[in-house]
Amino acid sequence: MSNLTIDLVQNTIDGVMVGSSYALLALGFTLIFGTMRRLNLAYGPTIMAGAYLGAYAFLHLGIGAFPVAVLVLVGAALAGLYVERLCFRPFAQTAAMASMVSSFAVWMQIEEAASLALPRHLNVFPALVSGSLGLGPLFVRLDHVLMLVIAAAATLVVHWALYRTRFGLGVRTVIDHRRAAALVGVPVRRILLLAFVLASAVGGLAGFLIAASEAQITPMFGMWATTKGLIAMMLGGLGSVPGALVGGLTLGIIEAQAQWLLGPHLRDLVAWGVLFAVLALWPGGLMGAAAVDDATAVQRRV
Amino acid sequence: MDGYLVGVFSNIGIISFLAVSAYVLLLAGEVSFGQQAFFAIGAYAAGMGTAMMRWPLAPALLLGASAGALAAAALGRATLRLSGLHFAIATLAFAEMVRIVFELFTWQIDIGGTLVGPNGTNGFGDIRYLFENEITPAEYLCAIYLLLALVLAVLMVLDRSRFGRALRQAGVDPVLAELQGVPVVRMRLVAAAAAGALAGLGGGLYAHLLTYVEPRNFDVMLGVHSLAYGLIGGLGTAIGPVVGVLIDIGLLESSRLFVGYRMIVFGGLVALLLIVRPRGLLDERTVHWLTTRVRDLIDAAAARRRDHPLRRR
Repeated sequence: MSNLTIDLVQNTIDGVMVGSSYALLALGFTLIFGTMRRLNLAYGPTIMAGAYLGAYAFLHLGIGAFPVAVLVLVGAALAGLYVERLCFRPFAQTAAMASMVSSFAVWMQIEEAASLALPRHLNVFPALVSGSLGLGPLFVRLDHVLMLVIAAAATLVVHWALYRTRFGLGVRTVIDHRRAAALVGVPVRRILLLAFVLASAVGGLAGFLIAASEAQITPMFGMWATTKGLIAMMLGGLGSVPGALVGGLTLGIIEAQAQWLLGPHLRDLVAWGVLFAVLALWPGGLMGAAAVDDATAVQRRV
Repeated sequence: MDGYLVGVFSNIGIISFLAVSAYVLLLAGEVSFGQQAFFAIGAYAAGMGTAMMRWPLAPALLLGASAGALAAAALGRATLRLSGLHFAIATLAFAEMVRIVFELFTWQIDIGGTLVGPNGTNGFGDIRYLFENEITPAEYLCAIYLLLALVLAVLMVLDRSRFGRALRQAGVDPVLAELQGVPVVRMRLVAAAAAGALAGLGGGLYAHLLTYVEPRNFDVMLGVHSLAYGLIGGLGTAIGPVVGVLIDIGLLESSRLFVGYRMIVFGGLVALLLIVRPRGLLDERTVHWLTTRVRDLIDAAAARRRDHPLRRR
């Protein structure tokens, strides 16, 4: 293999590894959007609340990586509960803007609370494993392999929960038609809350994997997670589970290639540019799920 | 007024342009996370006008507003098919691209021995028109508020016109509006361009107030804040977004209450306020009630004057 090919393959491997965590981020995001039909801007900060709880316990109690992971998930789920109660439950489904702005207000709250808890800009986070695995000229970081495996397992669990359990049936019914679901006796409010908390915990897992592979966490993490999750979700197609996976992996690969070819500044420019182009050309995203466009609105009415 | 207050109120006035810009799009039923892009474009264009091309302030501000309008119209053309969240994210992607392009954009020329012009991530400094022409901060403050008052007056007149009603109608229910003969797509394009012009004008004022801007000033936070102002202050009138800015910057940031906990308090207050009033403090119903009350009072006063015993013929 020529050097260029090796580099491109290496970038793709790195991209898939990092992309698996993006996919997990997008999975939680898309689950919230699918059930609520409203944007939760506080999604990333919710995850950050969990990650900060974990980092705080790691710093002050000196616990290991596994209990930290549990704390991150629990923290993110609790923050998700708070967001759902304050920003989504009180509003009619049509007041999408109010929910969105309200979740932005909670974002500000969480960010300030986090920086009060851990005032430093860089905070240590427990790493999972270190070292890397060689494969001829190629190599992979061991913690990235673990990230990919855990993300894939989590995706399978979410898939199982959505398609093989009574709860999942309820979620899919609510997504399909909320009023009809209520009329046939689905406990809509409980399903919405549970799905929201589950999605926040999925995000929390993604956040733990990312923070552990960086071995640090900053107050910028909330915004970072919201943006990456949003790009991956929109790239793949809004409200679609396979879309979240495709979007996350695509974003990971694009970023890895662009970073290597053009550097970090242009990497972000390329990622946003691809998102913009996809939205302008195929608004439904790569997986073609036209979740909320005018055409479906018209069809619903007629 | 002391210098601190002048600074705070200048800031409030300028951010109000951005909030009003997001509000115009909200009326058209579009959520934009990207108005900060036109604010940035206006800031750079107007700054280049005075600092590099040595233009007077007024044409430079006009240049900023036109650049904002042009960019917004171009973005509007590219995103015609999008609505709702897709539109919002497309505007966000656009704004982030604009910010990164400004981080890469360097064009400096020699003016009186110093290099002046945008310099990538280091920003664009020496926009010193106000100093060079001895315009005091208080005078500039008056200029800002005159322009803002003019913009608000125009918007309030437009709101009561046929165009304004059609725009609100397109915002509430585009399908119904289209069926009733409202050219929804064209209305949205016009609204987008007007919103871009307002943001560009605000950006031009901003660059000259600070004399220095950098791409980092124009991040997502600024855009989402300006969007939130409209919903906090209310969507019923163009004054709503300005009220939102007043509450955030005026009341909380400047009063230095709740130091260290400001965002926790403010975020909670906004979330609770939205539960009680999902379309803001001055929502359509409140504005309607207020205008009816005022009109009743005026009518009553006129009737009293007409029926006054001394004036009766």
